[in-house]
Amino acid sequence: MTSALVRLEGIERRFGAVMALSGADLALRPGEVHGVLGANGAGKSTLFNVLGGLLRPDAGRIEVGGKAVILASPRDAWSHGIGLVHQHFTLVPRLTVLENLALGTRGPGGRPGAVRDAALEVIGRTGLSVPLDEAVEELGVGDRQRVEILKALLRDPRILVLDEPTAVLTPAEAAGLFDLLRDLAGDGRAVALVAHKVDEVLEVSDRLTVLRDGTSVLTCSREETSEAEIVRAMVGDDDVDAAALGLGDRAGPRGVVGQHESRIVAELVGVRVAGRGGSGLDGVDISVRAGEIVGVAGVDGNGQRELAAVLAGRLAPESGTARLPEAVGFISQDRSREGLVADFDLTENVALAFQRKAGFRSGSWLRWEALEGAAEEIRRRHDVQAPSVRTLASSLSGGNQQRVIVGRELEMAGDLLVAENPTRGLDIAAAAFVHEELQRLASDGVAVVLISTDLDEVLTLSHRIMAIARGGLREVEEAHRTRQGVGSLMLGTDDRNG
Amino acid sequence: MAEAPAQAVGRMRLVESLVLGAAALALTAGVGAVLLLLGGYDPMAAAAAMVRGAFGSWTAFTSITLVRSVPLILTGLAVAFAFRAGVWNIGAEGQLYAGALAAVWVGLQAATLPPLLLLPLVLSASLVAGGLWALVPTLMRLRLGVGEVITTILMNFVGIYLAAYMVHGPLQERRGVFPQTDALPEAGRLPALLPGTALHWGFALSLLLAGALAVALRYSRFGFQLRAVGASPEAASVAGRIDVGRILFVAFLGSGAIAGMAGGVQVSGVTFALYEDLSPGWGYTAIAVALLAGLNPAGVVVTGVLFGALQAGAGAMQRDAGIPASWVGVVEALVILAVLCLDRVRRRVGKEAS
Repeated sequence: MTSALVRLEGIERRFGAVMALSGADLALRPGEVHGVLGANGAGKSTLFNVLGGLLRPDAGRIEVGGKAVILASPRDAWSHGIGLVHQHFTLVPRLTVLENLALGTRGPGGRPGAVRDAALEVIGRTGLSVPLDEAVEELGVGDRQRVEILKALLRDPRILVLDEPTAVLTPAEAAGLFDLLRDLAGDGRAVALVAHKVDEVLEVSDRLTVLRDGTSVLTCSREETSEAEIVRAMVGDDDVDAAALGLGDRAGPRGVVGQHESRIVAELVGVRVAGRGGSGLDGVDISVRAGEIVGVAGVDGNGQRELAAVLAGRLAPESGTARLPEAVGFISQDRSREGLVADFDLTENVALAFQRKAGFRSGSWLRWEALEGAAEEIRRRHDVQAPSVRTLASSLSGGNQQRVIVGRELEMAGDLLVAENPTRGLDIAAAAFVHEELQRLASDGVAVVLISTDLDEVLTLSHRIMAIARGGLREVEEAHRTRQGVGSLMLGTDDRNG
Repeated sequence: MAEAPAQAVGRMRLVESLVLGAAALALTAGVGAVLLLLGGYDPMAAAAAMVRGAFGSWTAFTSITLVRSVPLILTGLAVAFAFRAGVWNIGAEGQLYAGALAAVWVGLQAATLPPLLLLPLVLSASLVAGGLWALVPTLMRLRLGVGEVITTILMNFVGIYLAAYMVHGPLQERRGVFPQTDALPEAGRLPALLPGTALHWGFALSLLLAGALAVALRYSRFGFQLRAVGASPEAASVAGRIDVGRILFVAFLGSGAIAGMAGGVQVSGVTFALYEDLSPGWGYTAIAVALLAGLNPAGVVVTGVLFGALQAGAGAMQRDAGIPASWVGVVEALVILAVLCLDRVRRRVGKEAS
């Protein structure tokens, strides 16, 4: 048995009344990729933040190379060779990628070209391609994620810790990243990652740790376990319906009966929009009927943000026509910035959208008792883990924030729901819940547009699939409804033979 | 697009803002005492003189403390209203002068009107003028993306010196001796609120306005939209589909109008004429008043009276303890610094809990 490079034992961390970690253990050995799994709020991010020096544990022991250490700051963590890639971005938007990389490297830097050379070397070795001279604010989230990883790799950590690195990557990019992580581990480093899909983690990891309610409930090597055992450990329930967790077959609902008779709810014809850090829309046609889920698959930055904004009625086309219904719900992928007000409580965050609904205002006044009732209903129905509707959104975990947004926007979507990467960063149970809600909404006769970089999600849920590439939208024929088929259209190549 | 400003102070429950305010005052008192000691003064004597001057008698409390609190409450409300929307209106001082100037001008032009008409006209003129004074920075922010901190500060100088020019020139009193305007006719003056004191109806007006703003911010749709824009313009726009530009426009002009009314109330309730140095910097002290109140309108009443007491006590302190009255300016600045520091500490503690 190899001794661990890093060992965390009995880590406890309390946030106010919430015990985020209550005795979590994690040991990372040199040469291994270690997957960390857990439901929303299980403490994964907290544990990684402790490891990265961002959070001080209340109790517990951290050893690096067999010696007890205190990680009081990211600098401390770095000095012990621990590099953390955040779930949230920590880049300066106004600066170029190269400047951001220079900020992340140790010391005052040498000659200006040194960072570029080092970056190009890592890019060449890893295939993580990013435009070095582009300002970060011009990049999509996928590119930003790659910059974050690149930044960590430039400092050559002995221990690399990644929090949800694949959430915004395409399947091919994720596979590339996994190869890279394996290579890095092969050099004797320890690599740990949180990912939201069990199969992904199983694919890349040598060993696994499952967290539940802040405690490590399972640590084992990949050979010793099965997907079912992991899911049971995550959920803490022996009676798990694998299908409900999205682990079943991915056949998808193909073609609704009577779909062609149902009315067209939303329609874009020849819509053009200039790009905002990526492709714009270049003559897009799409029509969505009541009761169907139209999936839009694509690599991030190919016009999805603009498509979502136009469909949600937030962006007027520069040319072409957009015919949109009144009651549109919109689940933005940028939930912490655009979906919620962190400083508002749950009722106020529900009110944010509901103040437009007729039943919740009288004249100039909002009907707060009705709004509080609606918030309470959303909290209950969507199982939001919050003490009350008076809880501030900022004190909820990412998954619970998304439950609030989904619950709210489903209520707003009388005719149409536009969902942009709605399960990004969610664990499987939460993602499955969102999927069920989208399907239920469609069966209630609402039109749903699901814009996602997660190909499996699109394949599983959509009645019809469209691929978006460089601002153009193309319907995917029934015969090409496979990962490869859609994938080739996503890349904008017309490789119908592959 | 202008950068979205960070919030001045974070979201606070009432209890939190009371605790924060008390802590800020304690910190200020501590630092202030040290500064007094360094200057060779006796802090206890200073405090005693101050309390005596502000609260020592019924007359001192009503005719000095409360009268001085009126412009502080009104400008404090103006600042709190703007800050809640994420508008950094540092221009209450200039807007106050614009309001005072317009009030006096209209009052003198329409001097023959009966009280029922003239008084509302005078106060409305100050509202409109304050709003118009804020219009330039508003349009520069919304159309050109110029940050309003600089523009509102610069507009203060224009307002202050415009008033100075008017009282030396076109609006100087008939005899041409003193740098001030003629006095408003009786019909344009605010009546006394408490008989036998100098306290005028402007105090009641400021309480009413504070109540109205508190209710509007808490319960009305517009108030909610304004708070949403202040807390997160992106979420207000995307999730709330709120017209952020419209909210900013109304908040900015509304804030200017309230500050303008502070000027109108001062000339029509206390001085009856406009002169140079009408305001000892109320528009700036207003920032401390608003921040110490956690930007809550009801709290502004409390902190406004508190700062009124400080200013009332400053005179007594100079007289009885020989401490320069300008020392109160140091205290006011210390309060702002203490509030900002303590709020950041509070938010950091709160953030750990998320």
